[in-house]
Order: sequence, then structure tokens, then C-alpha cells
Amino acid sequence: MLITALLTTVLVTDTVTLDKVNNLDEVLIVSNEGGKRTRSVKGQVASIDEHLGELRRVNLVRRGSYAWEPVVNNMQTERLSTTIDGMKIFYACTDKMDPVTSYVESGNLQSISLNSGLDGNPQATGNIGGSLDLKLRKVGFDSDPSHFNVSAGHEWNGHLQVYGADAAFSGSRAYLNTGLFWRDADNYRTGGGEVLNYSQFSKVNAFANAGLRLSGSDILESTLIFDRATNVGYPALNMDVSKAQGFISSVSYKHRFRGAGWETKVYYNHIIHIMDDTTRPDVAIHMDMPGDSRTTGLYSLFTTSLGGESRAQHDLAVNYDLYYNRLFADMTMYPGGAAPMYMVTWPDVGTFNTGLAVTDNVSIDDRQSLRLSGKLAWQQQRLNNEEGYHGQKVFFPLMTDYYHQTTGRIAANYQFSFFNSQFSIGTGWGSRAPTVTEAYGYYLNNTFDQYDYIGNPHLKNESAFELNANSQFSILNFQFGFDANVFLFKDYIIGRLDDRLSAMTVGAEGVKVYRNLDHATISNLSLTADWQLTERLAWSGKVSYSLGRDDEDNPLPLISPVSWRTELEYSYRHLQTRVEVKGNADQTDYAARYGETKTPAWNIVNLSAAYQFSISNFQFIIRAGVENLFDKNYSSYSDWNNIPQKGRNIYLNLTFEL
Amino acid sequence: MKKVLSYILLGASLIVSVSSCNSNDDLGTQEIVIPGVTIDGDIDCCSAEEALQVYNFLQTVKIIPELSTVVDGKYNVFAYSKTGKFHVGYNDIYFVATKKKNGNYIKNYEISGFTPHMLMVKMNMKHSTPVGAGAESFDNNYLAVKRGWISFVMSSSENGSWTLAYNYSVLGSKGTTDEKDITVDALPDGQQWLKSFKVGNDTYYLTLVNPTDYKTGKNSIQAYVSKKSTPATTPYALASEQFVIEIDPRMPDMGNHTSPGNQSLLLQDDGSYLGNVNLTMTGRWRIHLTVKDINGNVVAGGDDLSDGYSSLYWDVTI
Repeated sequence: MLITALLTTVLVTDTVTLDKVNNLDEVLIVSNEGGKRTRSVKGQVASIDEHLGELRRVNLVRRGSYAWEPVVNNMQTERLSTTIDGMKIFYACTDKMDPVTSYVESGNLQSISLNSGLDGNPQATGNIGGSLDLKLRKVGFDSDPSHFNVSAGHEWNGHLQVYGADAAFSGSRAYLNTGLFWRDADNYRTGGGEVLNYSQFSKVNAFANAGLRLSGSDILESTLIFDRATNVGYPALNMDVSKAQGFISSVSYKHRFRGAGWETKVYYNHIIHIMDDTTRPDVAIHMDMPGDSRTTGLYSLFTTSLGGESRAQHDLAVNYDLYYNRLFADMTMYPGGAAPMYMVTWPDVGTFNTGLAVTDNVSIDDRQSLRLSGKLAWQQQRLNNEEGYHGQKVFFPLMTDYYHQTTGRIAANYQFSFFNSQFSIGTGWGSRAPTVTEAYGYYLNNTFDQYDYIGNPHLKNESAFELNANSQFSILNFQFGFDANVFLFKDYIIGRLDDRLSAMTVGAEGVKVYRNLDHATISNLSLTADWQLTERLAWSGKVSYSLGRDDEDNPLPLISPVSWRTELEYSYRHLQTRVEVKGNADQTDYAARYGETKTPAWNIVNLSAAYQFSISNFQFIIRAGVENLFDKNYSSYSDWNNIPQKGRNIYLNLTFEL
Repeated sequence: MKKVLSYILLGASLIVSVSSCNSNDDLGTQEIVIPGVTIDGDIDCCSAEEALQVYNFLQTVKIIPELSTVVDGKYNVFAYSKTGKFHVGYNDIYFVATKKKNGNYIKNYEISGFTPHMLMVKMNMKHSTPVGAGAESFDNNYLAVKRGWISFVMSSSENGSWTLAYNYSVLGSKGTTDEKDITVDALPDGQQWLKSFKVGNDTYYLTLVNPTDYKTGKNSIQAYVSKKSTPATTPYALASEQFVIEIDPRMPDMGNHTSPGNQSLLLQDDGSYLGNVNLTMTGRWRIHLTVKDINGNVVAGGDDLSDGYSSLYWDVTI
């Protein structure tokens, strides 16, 4: 169960146990031997976005080569919770150029876990679509005394270079993980060989996780991550980023009782995001658009197991958390010769949020289990910037500079297994408060539909009722899976055109204001099949279908068309090879009403191989492959403004461990 | 023993003497001294409390030395503006009158009859400009300060220079000042606060009041409509006709971006026109105008030039 996973990760060792509840998905970044786990074919060198892409219900919105935005169950950041080891962190770019996953590096992480839907991890708040938790890499106590890992990667398309070095030291009283990573890419070539300008980026990252055992049952742990991306191009947007910098820190104290654990963590993180359009030619009006996000918080998680033996066993977790986040962004425009124009786009919103979550995993008997989770949270928001507040008051004369919201979620999931098959059904209800952009954003230009967006401080909380079901049947060496969920929204928040308002951004079509739609629906269905043909040869396939509808039965934007992926894998001793075909059908159900254009069908073929060998104490892993073998020029529905994907790309990654 | 005692006494006196001295009283006395503040009891003048308010207000404005005048050798009249200067368009002028002998602020006095004149050297022509009727008290905290306004149609230059005279009446002493030379500065680029329009043979002036106070958000917008006099040397008083001034604020540098919820300027009891203008950001705003008469007929502006907007406008850069 999730909580056992947490307990084992956190208190005992760092072996991540895969949850048997199907709502939980996890991608492993560090290779722990054994077990069939999801992992990127590029190994540890893969970017965090590529790792995220391995998760079953995740799609990625791509605005360039860097900082892709995870979408879970066809829901974007607003409806997701993203935490780093339970820490809240909020992006600082009004244009969503910096999803918080961009402020860590794969080398910082042990794994990424995803709870689908309303059944969130204990620290998650406002998760309707799901909650992602990025689990930091911690070697733990009494592991190998020292372990070194050096990796290098090169991708020929775009001249992507990845270099990383990390070390782990472990003893009975202390442990330390630390590492340094560097990534750099030039513009890549799209299928057919054309260079896509402004698709370059550069990133450095350093991290340290340390633990100190104070006594047999007391542990102090600390995390520091510094991450800086510079010269990041966004071919899908009008602006690039000169600097996106994250500083993440935490200190936690863990105490183990007999049969129970208690962890309290305090944390602070700070993101600075500076957009830049000085490298673009023909800029009508040069703009400065910095953003700043600071979050301080704490959580205190108590976990215990009750019952067991003949009675049902309860793995219980109670979590209290609070955080305070400050979000500020402004924009200065410089028309040639005339006075600069200034506006506050996020009015220095201070959000104080506190919540109490309870999770209970009940193992009823060998074949049945039940997972219950719930959270109640309260938050208050204050607009600390007068200018921004008065600006928005033009549109909402009755607004105030203080609001508070109460949100909650509750979910239940029942799982039943017999023979080699599993079934699970679940339901949940949850709500979320409007985001700062949705409530107080000011003339935020969305290049997807070319509208300026104005936040609406009078929005109601959005809520959703979720039903999900999934099953896995195994017959001999054939496995068939089915996974479906439906989210019935009430007061779904989305921007709607207000044609009385005049656009601010030059070239914008008009102004949209966030509104509550009376209802909306998002549902997802996927079918999977796995076939172990021989001991060495395995085949798997997956088809997904999703549907989004607003209150007038129009398609919602950024909902995946029918998609598929099939793989044939051949493994022999230390060699692994794979042929993968993936593609999307024509996006027939695109949201014209919300400015979406139709994306045509595509298919690509990827090849990959990994070979592992050791020379004395040194272990080497070589991973090589070709992506988009036939150099197809294509873009997926989630490529912002349909920027084309990479053309043929050959990569070679080396990892060397000691 | 005696020695110990004397040491203790010495130490104690040292501590007392050192700790009792500080630098706060190095200069000045402990009394609050305010220039112009009167002692209570002078019935013509402000109480000490009122005088303090007047004094505090005067710290926020600057004196215009050339407009000071001495009345009958007994009183001083001082004029102030926000910057100590005048500029094209609307200017507030503030006045105080003091007793010469003690500097006390006088409560009851009158300033009226602003007479600005522009002498255009080349054409040897003289004309006036829109003015308010006189100076009035405007804030209950400092009634002894009076405010009037003048809206200059042009700046001083080699082509012409401005003079200003006004009438005073201080505690029974009445008179008119000389025509004093004043300087009127041009407005910087992006600021045009005074516009005129013609109806038949009559020329009207639209004076926008203090747009530099505007901030991002909702702003109250005030203006005056004055009518050119005949002869033109007579100061231009407020027009007796009633108008409605519709506004359409636009940002020419931002593709004529506009804001919602703007309210037309309507005539108020005090003779000014008042409305609301919403400004969504800082920068240059062009407030396009459509002037209608009381029957709703367009008399000026609203002509929708090739760019689709009125040719009659104020420019405000905030």
C-alpha cells in the first residue's frame, strides 16, 4: 500500500515497494535490481519529463525541449498536486513555462509516484486529476559505505549533452547523497531536417540529502537542491527564459515508535523565473516578465499499523500540513520611444493553507483490501499588491483583497483478487480552490488560443465526483488489463470569452475570463495487453481513449485523442533490446470552441538497446537507441501550438558505477 | 574603608553623569517651533492646531515667489503650486495670507479675479486662458489655505510670455496685484491635458484636472469646460451651456487596448464635470472624447477618424 511504501522508504530502507492498488503508479529512476518496474529506456540520464512520460496516466504538454507540463488523466497543473517528498512547491511563471517538476533533476530522485484521481498522497491538496510526489534519492543508513555513479549522455539531434556525477555514503549513524548534473542542448531538428529555432536550453543542478541517526529511533534528515536553467528556448511561445532558478530545502525529524512512525518536516523553497524576449527578432514591444514564488511549510505525518493476524489489518496514516506561499509576477512593456507600461500580473498573493489528511489501508483478508483516504483543508488568500488589486478591481468592483476557501476530498477503493486476476473499483469526491491565475491573474496571454486571460476572484470552488474501475486478468503467459475512470465536475473552471473586453497583448484575439461551468466531464479508458512469448521475448500493447465535455457538450481542450503504444522486447542476459511503435489517431474531438486546432494522426518507431557489464568492481551500462527512426515530421495534440517534435534522434548514454 | 567608599562614589557619579547626557538636546530647544504658527488669542488667525495643519500642508507644495504680494504693508499673500511652477493645462494654485508682524495665518481673506495674459510678441496679440472663479477653501483641516485653478493653453516661449494678476481682500484691505511675469512650462511628451473645440463661432476648452494623480485601477476623472471670451483678453470662465463628455480610454502603444466600465463626465453642482476612468496598467493612455449637448447631439469629437477613434482626446501618461 502507499503507506507501507512510505514507511519502508522513509523509515526502514530505500527499497520502494510497488503498491498493489492500481491507482498508484510509480516510475523508478534509480535502478534497483529485480522486479518489473516502469523505467525510461534512456535510464537515469533521461530527463525528468521523459521519466514522467513513463507513467501510465501521464501525458506531457510541451512548449519546447525543456520543462514539460505533466498532465494526469487529461488534467493539467490546476487539477493536480505536485510535491517533492511531500513538500509543496509552486511554479513562478504566469505562462506555465516552469512546471515544478522542472526544478529537480532525475539524479535527485529515487522515483516518481502518482496517485490517480482524488485518492491523493497525504500532503496533496486540490488534486482532482491526481497527485505526483517526487521522491528524493536517499541511500539510507547501513547501505554500501560508498557508491559512486557517473553518467554521460549524448543525443545527436540537438546536440544534447548530459553529464552527471553523484555519490552516496552510508553508515550506521549518518548518510549522504550528493550530486552535480549538467544538461545542455542546441536547437533540434524536426522530422525532415529543419532546425526548430529557440529549442535550446541549459541546466545545472546540485543536490544533497543527508541523514543523521540521533538514537536508535530518532533520525534527522535534510535536503538541499539548487537548480538553475538558463537560455531556455520556447519555440511554442513568444518569449524565452533567461533564468529559471529553484532553491529547495528541508529539515525533517523522524521518530519510530513500536509499530508506528512519526515524521515532521519543515521546508522552504524559492523560485525565480525571468522571461526574456531580447533574443527574438521583430518583437513589437519588448517585455520584462519576472515571476517569484516562495513557499514555507511543514507537515507532520504519523503512520501506524493496527490489527492484523486474524483480524483485518489497518495501515493508518494521519497527516497535518500547512504552508504559506507568496506569488508575485509583473510585466513591463517598452514601446519604442513612449513611456513604459507596467502591470502586476499576479498581485503578490499570500496563500496560507492548512489541512488534515487521514488514510487507511485495510487488508481485509488475503484477497480483499480497501483503501480509504480523506483530507480537509482550509486556506486564506491575501492580495498584498495594491496596484494589482486595484487593476483587477476595474473588472470586479466588488472584489476584496482577502478570500478564504475550504476544500476537501474523500476517496474509497476496494480491491479484490482471485486466481491470477485483480479487480478494483473506487469512488471519490473532492474539491479545489481556484488557482492564483484563475482567481487573480491579470491579462495573462495564452498563446494556445491567442487570448488574454483575466482571473475571476468570485469563482466558486471546483469539485468532482470520480468513479474508477480497473482489472487485470492473467491467462497463462498472457495478461489483459482494463482501466477506466470518469470525473463528473461541478463548477468546472475554464476561461470563457468576454467580447466586451479589449485585449491587451498585441495580436491577441480577445479576452477570456475564468468562469465556473455548471458541469463538465472527463473520462479515460485504457486497455493493456502483455504477452510473454518466450522467456526472452515479450510483447505489450496499450490503447487509450479519453473524452472531455463541457456543460454544452463541446469538447474540452487538451484531451488526448485515441493513442497507442506497442513494444516488442527481447532480453538475453545483460542485453535488452526493444522496438516500440507509438502513435495517436486523428484528433477528431478537438475543442474548437476553446481555440484548439485539429492535430493529425501520427506514428513513430523507436529502437533502443541496453547492455550491462562489469569489469572488476566497476559496473557499466550502455544505453543506445534511435527515436523517430523514420524521421517523421509530426506533433502531438499536447505540443503547444503544434510545434513539431524531434526528428530522427540517435542517443548514447553511459553510466558507470563504483 | 574610606578609600573604597570614595571609589564607589566616584564610580556612581561617573555613571550618573555619563548616562544622563545624550546628543538629543545638543541643538535647539524642546519647544516645537513652527514658522507662522500663532499663539491662540488672535481672532483673525488660526489656532495653533489649525496653523500646524496649514504648515504641514504647505510642506507638500512649493512657493511661487513671483506671485507673492504685500498688502498695505501689513499682510503677505503667498501663492503655491505643486512644483512651484506652472505648466500647460490645469494647475492648482494655493494661497495663504499671513500677518506681517507675527507671521500668523489669516483665516478670512479672498482671492479672486485671476487674470492671466499671454502676450504674443510677433503678432502683438494678447489673450487669456481658462480660469476658475476664485480661490476657495477646500479642506476642513486647513481652511486658511485656499485653492484656485488656471489652465494654460500654451507654454511660455520666445513667441510669447505670460503674466498673471489677481484680486485680494485681506481683513478689509482690497486691491489687485500687478501683472506679474510667470513662466509656463510645456508638458512632456505623452501628456495633453487641454483641448478645445468649436461650436459655431464659440470656442470651448476642455481642461482635465490633475491626471498625474491617476493610478492603475479605477480613477475619478474631473474636467472643466470653459468658453473663450470676447474680447479674448478677458479670462475664460466656465461655459454656461451644459454638456455630456463621453470617454473612450485607449492605449495607442498597445493596439488601442481599452478598459471596461468607464463613465461619462457629467456636470456637477460645483461647475466641474465628473466621471470615472479605468486604467488597466501604467503607460500612455489616450482618452478619446465625444462631447454631446444636453439633447444628446454630438457637438465635438466622436468623429471616428480613419483609426476609428475621436480626433478630440486627452493624453495622459501614468
